[in-house]
Amino acid sequence: MLLLDYGNLLIESLLKDRFAPGATPTSIDQISGEFDNTSFHISTPESKSKILISLAIKCYPELVKYGAEEVLQREYGSLIVQPESGYDFSVGVDLEQLPESEEEKTDLIRRISLMKRNALAAPFEQAFDEFASLQEQARQYTSESAPQGVREGGEVRAIHYREEEAIYIKASHDRVTVIFSTIFREETDRVYGKVFLQEFVDARKRGVQNAPQVLARDDPPLELQGIPGIKAGKGEVTYVTFVLFPRHLTPQRRAEVISHIETFRDYFHYHIKASKAYIHSRMRRRTADFLQVLRRARPEAEEKERKTASGRTFTVKG
Amino acid sequence: MAPQTPAVVMDNGTGYTKLGFAGNDSPSFVFPTAIATKGPAAGAGGSGSGRPAVGQKPSFLTGGAGPGGHLSAKRGTEDLDFFIGDEALGAAAGPGYGLHYPIRHGQIENWDQMERFWSNSIFKYLRVEPEDHYFLLTEPPLNPPENRENTAEIMFESFNCAGLYIAVQAVLALAASWTSSKVQDRSLTGTVIDSGEGVTHVIPVAEGYVIGSSIKSIPIAGRDITYFVQSLLRDRGEPDSSLKTAERIKEEFCYVCPDIVKEFARFDREADDRFKHYEVQQPGGRSVTVDVGYERFLAPEIFFNPEIYSSDFLTPLPTIVDTVIQTSPIDVRRGLYKNIVLSGGSTLYKDFGRRLQRDIRHLVDARIKASEARAGNQAKSGGLDVQVITHRRQRHGPWFGGSLLGQTPEFRSYCHTKAEYDEIGPSIVRRFALLGGPGST
Repeated sequence: MLLLDYGNLLIESLLKDRFAPGATPTSIDQISGEFDNTSFHISTPESKSKILISLAIKCYPELVKYGAEEVLQREYGSLIVQPESGYDFSVGVDLEQLPESEEEKTDLIRRISLMKRNALAAPFEQAFDEFASLQEQARQYTSESAPQGVREGGEVRAIHYREEEAIYIKASHDRVTVIFSTIFREETDRVYGKVFLQEFVDARKRGVQNAPQVLARDDPPLELQGIPGIKAGKGEVTYVTFVLFPRHLTPQRRAEVISHIETFRDYFHYHIKASKAYIHSRMRRRTADFLQVLRRARPEAEEKERKTASGRTFTVKG
Repeated sequence: MAPQTPAVVMDNGTGYTKLGFAGNDSPSFVFPTAIATKGPAAGAGGSGSGRPAVGQKPSFLTGGAGPGGHLSAKRGTEDLDFFIGDEALGAAAGPGYGLHYPIRHGQIENWDQMERFWSNSIFKYLRVEPEDHYFLLTEPPLNPPENRENTAEIMFESFNCAGLYIAVQAVLALAASWTSSKVQDRSLTGTVIDSGEGVTHVIPVAEGYVIGSSIKSIPIAGRDITYFVQSLLRDRGEPDSSLKTAERIKEEFCYVCPDIVKEFARFDREADDRFKHYEVQQPGGRSVTVDVGYERFLAPEIFFNPEIYSSDFLTPLPTIVDTVIQTSPIDVRRGLYKNIVLSGGSTLYKDFGRRLQRDIRHLVDARIKASEARAGNQAKSGGLDVQVITHRRQRHGPWFGGSLLGQTPEFRSYCHTKAEYDEIGPSIVRRFALLGGPGST
């Protein structure tokens, strides 16, 4: 597994089970977690055929500010119900009113399993839209004559999706900049992280020309100047900047790009852990090898003086 | 972490792995503990790519850890090319992948594979960040402390999990039985009969501690029942006697009867009612009907009369349970008899608990009677209470017990945290405070 899936596997498998023809509706009551302090609650509060899926996400107020409600409205439409208490957003599925065809069912399952992705996608979509309009405006000016707003680009959207980490998105007329701030709790992880980030930074040099440009640094990049809550100067926070160029922002590519960049942090940490597992397996193997060498290196039994039954010894002549 | 994230409960058994979050009443995922990796299946040995393992080294430096000698030749992302669970079974059916079972007899045998199995469980199935969650893992009784340490190393050093608790499966199964209405006091004393796919264990637990010297295992479990059903089907010459059919019949139709002879008579009397039919969809779209007859009650009967199935193991389950309790310390025997808890898929047959309780009670009563007679009938025994607890969470007993204990507010104080691990090292997991024991809720 190189890339993490974007959808929630539990929701997918549960719904697939229930949607299958001939499946008997049973009551469900499951809580489930997701990356980044997101939690799900899947339940059948009223009747067994009505499944309620609720999502709680830490930064929901911020997401709403950046248009999460519209995105979710577009994705789920009539499925949306009053949010369950303690959760931010809920959809209800009635098993008796499922779409007819198999494809529509699969599509519905997929859409619901992508709930977290869609909620988090709102600020990205907004930024991409802003980029499109800025690009339109910028066409009218040369780079010198452009008014301040167009040259500088839009405001920075900050999503504090974890306790100490955040995503910042900024749209300009020729690119969208996405900045992740990450903190490593573990010294080992920091080292692995550095290696991985260097790979990202170098990707463009290795012939992957259409990759977004990546920068990793320890001090806040210029885009984040003046944003509240950001400490200037070098600190323990690493800032990873992705510069998305117009070719990444075309409407056809958009959904894919958003999914990828959203899972960046999880992907990053998954691979740090997978590399550790790999190194561990090599370490185990090496230990086994050395143990084998040690076992073979047992000192040979020293030759004792041999005697005959009557007590006489052998002597070597010559 | 201001809002408490639910603890992750992972029960890795020999046959199946149960994954989920504490507080749920059933595991989120249940799949075979299998991993499919590139290369031949376990036991094929040597290098998988068909060339000498490591050419430049003298031969005594290679070998050792069995297959995997080509590991150092891997430079890309081959180590991520694997599947677990049902996907593993699927991948292994095709070319290129070999299937491995990293757990044998309840104990982890291959740590490389287990580490990757866990990594995939966490990131692909549960989709959680291990830093944010506490973990509750299970271990079989009599697990060597070294295995615990290895587990802790992986959980803390590879995954940086926030906290870890390793519980004994039998103790968790006892905790799961608290949901039964028959249990009045939430004690951790009792006898656990854990019967899964491969083997059946009878484990006495006194106040949360396993009495290791009295554990007995029986080589009869779910798989044997399936084989027995299959052999009965073959004897009759049924049109389909595949293992899968036998398994389905076992799960759907089998039950435990109070008396075989009477049951045979009843089958003859009420033939229409008792004999069933099972329809099998064969590949190719054909469907055949298999008759289901005496195996309905004969199959689970091999627990009580093993001689009908096996010729080398002949002690019935009730006798084993009685022996186990009799070899335990005398002061806990009463508690062990009073709280016999069932766990695992092979204890789910209808009336299994009732039959077991009756048989054990007969044994106990006979012994009491004999001892009274030896004492010249001058002293009367007050009798002994035998009670077998069946409850609704039997199938995933240990997992459910883990979920129950993992959601208690004090669970986190019983765990060892990452900071403590960093301070003391892997040996920290040799001891755990007893979760759910006296003093807690």
